[in-house]
Amino acid sequence: MRLEKCWFCSSTTYPGHGIQFVRNDAKIFRFCRSKCHKNFKMKRNPRKVKWTKAYRRVHGKDMTQDSTFEFERKRNRPERYDRNLAENVLKAIPKIDKIRVAREEKHHKNRMKGKKQKLHMEAVRELEQGISLVKAPSVLQKDPFLTLPKIKVGVSQQQQSEENHPMEE
Amino acid sequence: MAAIFASRCSRVGRSLFGGLSNSSPGLFTTLHEMTCKNMFSQQQRTFIQMRTVLKVVDNSGAKKVMCIQALKGKKGARLGDTIIASVKEAHPNGKVKKGKVVYGVVVRAAMQKGRCDGSEVKFDDNAVVLVDKQGQPIGTRVFGPVPHELRQKKHVKILTLAGHIA
Repeated sequence: MRLEKCWFCSSTTYPGHGIQFVRNDAKIFRFCRSKCHKNFKMKRNPRKVKWTKAYRRVHGKDMTQDSTFEFERKRNRPERYDRNLAENVLKAIPKIDKIRVAREEKHHKNRMKGKKQKLHMEAVRELEQGISLVKAPSVLQKDPFLTLPKIKVGVSQQQQSEENHPMEE
Repeated sequence: MAAIFASRCSRVGRSLFGGLSNSSPGLFTTLHEMTCKNMFSQQQRTFIQMRTVLKVVDNSGAKKVMCIQALKGKKGARLGDTIIASVKEAHPNGKVKKGKVVYGVVVRAAMQKGRCDGSEVKFDDNAVVLVDKQGQPIGTRVFGPVPHELRQKKHVKILTLAGHIA
C-alpha cells in the first residue's frame, strides 16, 4: 500500500481516493479530492493559496527543514526484505512521528512567542485612543485616572518672538 | 454540433444586445466570445463515440483519425478499448493513406477511468495507436505516455514500444 502526496495541498492520499492526471510530457499530478483538482484546473498556484502546505512552508508557518522529513522521503528502489530491519522500522515509525509532532509544536510556540504581548500593547493603545467611549470627558476631568500624562514641550524665546512678529515680505 | 451551438449562441447574443447599445457593439461581442470560450474549455469530457477526432501517436503515417464505430460498450469507447476509425489526415509517404478504414486502440482519453486500486486516471487528450485485425500495432514507435491497463487488454506490444507508462 503506497500513500501518495497530493500535488496541490501536499496531504496524504490513501488508496482508492482522488484522481490522477497525466500530462502529455508524462508528468503525473495526483490530487486528493476534487477541491484540489478544480484549483489545478483553474491554474491556481499552491504557493499563493493560503490553506495549502506549500503556502504555509513558504511563509514560515510550518517547518521547512527537519531530519524527520528524510524518513518520509519517497523511495523508488525496492529494499531487500529483512525481518529484523522490518521490525526495527515498524518500531521506529511511531517514535519518529512523536518527535516530529513535538518539533512542530515547538516551532509553533517560537512563532507565537511575542503574540500575547503584542496583543496587550494593541489593546492598551486602543483604550488610550478611544477613552472617551469608556468614560465621559466630564468624568475624566474630575478623575484623571485613565488619562495620559501631558508632555511639556520647551519652546525657546527666539521661536516665541518669531510667533509674535508677523512675517515681512 | 459545436458549430450549431456557437451559431445559436451568436444569434441569441445579437438579439439580446442589439437594442441595448449602438455606441459600443465591440464590448458585447468580446464579452460573448469570452463566455462561449469558457463554456467550451470547461466542457464535460465524455466517451469516444462516432465522429470523435483522435490523435494518432505512432509512426504508421496517419495524423488524425475519426471514430466511426466503438467496438465495446453501449455509450462509446474508453481508455484501452478498440475502435474502428477513418483516417482524416496522413503523412504523404506513410503506411496508411487518407480515407482508409483502420482499427485503433485508445491509449489516452480525456475522460477519467477508474483503476483497480479505486483511484481514477485521465489524460490531456484523446489518442490512438493504429492496429490490424489481430491487434498488432502497424507502427514501430509509440509517442507519449500510455496507461498500464493495456496489459490487461492484451496489448503488451504497445506497452513495450511506449516510452512512458503511467
